[in-house]
Amino acid sequence: MSNDTDVKFRLNNSELWGGLIGLALGGFVIWSGLKLKLGTINDPGAGFVLFYTGILMCLFATSIMIAALTEGGPTFGSRWVNTRWTKPLLVIVCLVAFSFALNPLGFLLSSIPLMLLLLRVVDPVRWSLAVPIAVLVPLGMWWILKRLLLIQLPSGLFEIG
Amino acid sequence: MDTLINVAHGFGVALQPINLIYCFIGVFIGTLVGVLPGIGPISAMSLLLPITLSGTPESGIIMMAGIYYGSMYGGSTTSILVNIPGEAASVVTCIDGHQMAKQGRAGPALGISAFGSFFAGTFALIALMLVAPKLASVAIAFGPAEYFSLMVLGLVVLTFLTQGSMAKALLMACVGIVLGVVGLDSITAQPRLTFGRIELIDGIGLVPVVMGLFGIAEVLINTEQVIKRDIINTKITHLFPSREDWKASAGPMSRGTVLGFFLGILPGGGAVISSFASYALEKRLSKTPERFGNGAIEGVAGPEAANNAAAGGAFIPLMTLGIPPNVVMALLLGAFVIHGLQPGPLMITQNPGLFWGIVASMYIGNLMLLVLNLPMIGMWVQLLKLPYNILFPLIILFTIIGVYCSSNNIFDVYVMIAFGIIGYFMRKLGYEPAPLVLAFVLGPMLENNLRKSLILSQGDLMTFVQRPISAVCLAFAVVLLVAPLLPALRKKREMVALDEGV
Repeated sequence: MSNDTDVKFRLNNSELWGGLIGLALGGFVIWSGLKLKLGTINDPGAGFVLFYTGILMCLFATSIMIAALTEGGPTFGSRWVNTRWTKPLLVIVCLVAFSFALNPLGFLLSSIPLMLLLLRVVDPVRWSLAVPIAVLVPLGMWWILKRLLLIQLPSGLFEIG
Repeated sequence: MDTLINVAHGFGVALQPINLIYCFIGVFIGTLVGVLPGIGPISAMSLLLPITLSGTPESGIIMMAGIYYGSMYGGSTTSILVNIPGEAASVVTCIDGHQMAKQGRAGPALGISAFGSFFAGTFALIALMLVAPKLASVAIAFGPAEYFSLMVLGLVVLTFLTQGSMAKALLMACVGIVLGVVGLDSITAQPRLTFGRIELIDGIGLVPVVMGLFGIAEVLINTEQVIKRDIINTKITHLFPSREDWKASAGPMSRGTVLGFFLGILPGGGAVISSFASYALEKRLSKTPERFGNGAIEGVAGPEAANNAAAGGAFIPLMTLGIPPNVVMALLLGAFVIHGLQPGPLMITQNPGLFWGIVASMYIGNLMLLVLNLPMIGMWVQLLKLPYNILFPLIILFTIIGVYCSSNNIFDVYVMIAFGIIGYFMRKLGYEPAPLVLAFVLGPMLENNLRKSLILSQGDLMTFVQRPISAVCLAFAVVLLVAPLLPALRKKREMVALDEGV
């Protein structure tokens, strides 16, 4: 165990921030429940379950925070020690870019570059293999879905696919 | 006699060519995901959930069930040959299975694991045939208070068994309930947490949530590490165990089967805990416990039988009460709901073809698995060599296509990507997704039953403790909630903590 995990109080204690996020979510759920109306105990309203679930969330989040403050906890950095953290980050960037491109470009024009990036980014596959896989797999899937299963994938502004 | 007639009817359904094909696809994919480390039955079932839409309910559910029990068979192959558990329930098989393989006894280890799985699977099915209709007739008398308390118990047991902090698991369960109730309120038709988005009026889809949390997040976690595989390369012989092996394994197999079946029925329990419990039991009963960890065949036979029996037992609460005891069954419930079916006490009488067809298909599936896992073992060993840098991008592409096809809606792809990223950070911070998913599925049912019981009892909260079944469930849930506060029980909990809550 690294020294990072033994620290009693530290602002970058990941447990503390996890609890704080939980607390904020719980607060939001309580507020949403109140806004939707709680109703009465013999006729619960739409916000009844949300309100009480929000209270439970705040309780559990508080207990996580108390444990973080009294027992300490790992820092954010220590969660990624000895990992190839850039790899998931790159995959996330690719996925976010894909989600922005999917609607305007359509399935084929967005998924082929996505596949090529994923094949080259994580543990690079040689170009001679990556390019055919990146092109043929989305194309094959598109053909099966459109021609055999009659499912229309997004074709985008250019109406390709 | 009635049971026999029903079983015959079930085989009539299961033996239809289309259902046989779906059953084969299910057990084949199940073995495949069991063999491949990094992809579990949850990811595979969530990936294939949209495909169930294309066929009849029987076909789709037969395939989904096949993936689950098929993965139990396949997981042991990787544990024995590579010392990496193919899925969570095979963790314990690594201990003695891989040692046996290192000593040149990979064949008997694989053989006893497949025969043990078949024996346990068969027992679980017979027990399912006998127990399920009886339990269903009792469950008809259940009211909303009983259902509410049973669901609370299921969630608490799962959070108790989830790895790490129980407060985190409970927080995740609450988040799951909140996500589950997004959309129109079933009683007042008021939109809840929709943020003005028309796509959220019907609620958040199960498919994008599960595919994100288990498919995309799993890939993101796996890309962090270089997955190294040390495959046993010697020729695998003597797949049929010797007389001595059978003699040593008969007891552990039988005990593992019974133990696994009953642990599988319990809400929150399942294949993982039963395999660990069986291993602990065999080690305790053995006259030579020092052999465990050094290639004892009992350490393979017991847990492998237990996890397969548990996989069969887990169908009982789903089929008879409509309550999924674990995340895999929650996905199966999702498949039922997609087809407009509600599993529960009335399903056996109202839809006997479906119930008995699924049960019969599981027996046929077990036979298929025996063939797939013994004579074709060489093929699975070759598959272990499949490069992950090609596999992971393909999984991402298939999840995107799967989510889009399930609803024809780009919004669901966004939801999946968002949950994939959230799921990755959740896991990094020690928040397990299993309680969230189970609560997400149970959330709307939990809310409905709570509100119904309060309306029926005119707001009297005592209704939950005056009804015996409800009171027992709640009492047990309270004990489990308090348990981690006691150091001795906390230690026990840490020993049985699960990875994925299956």
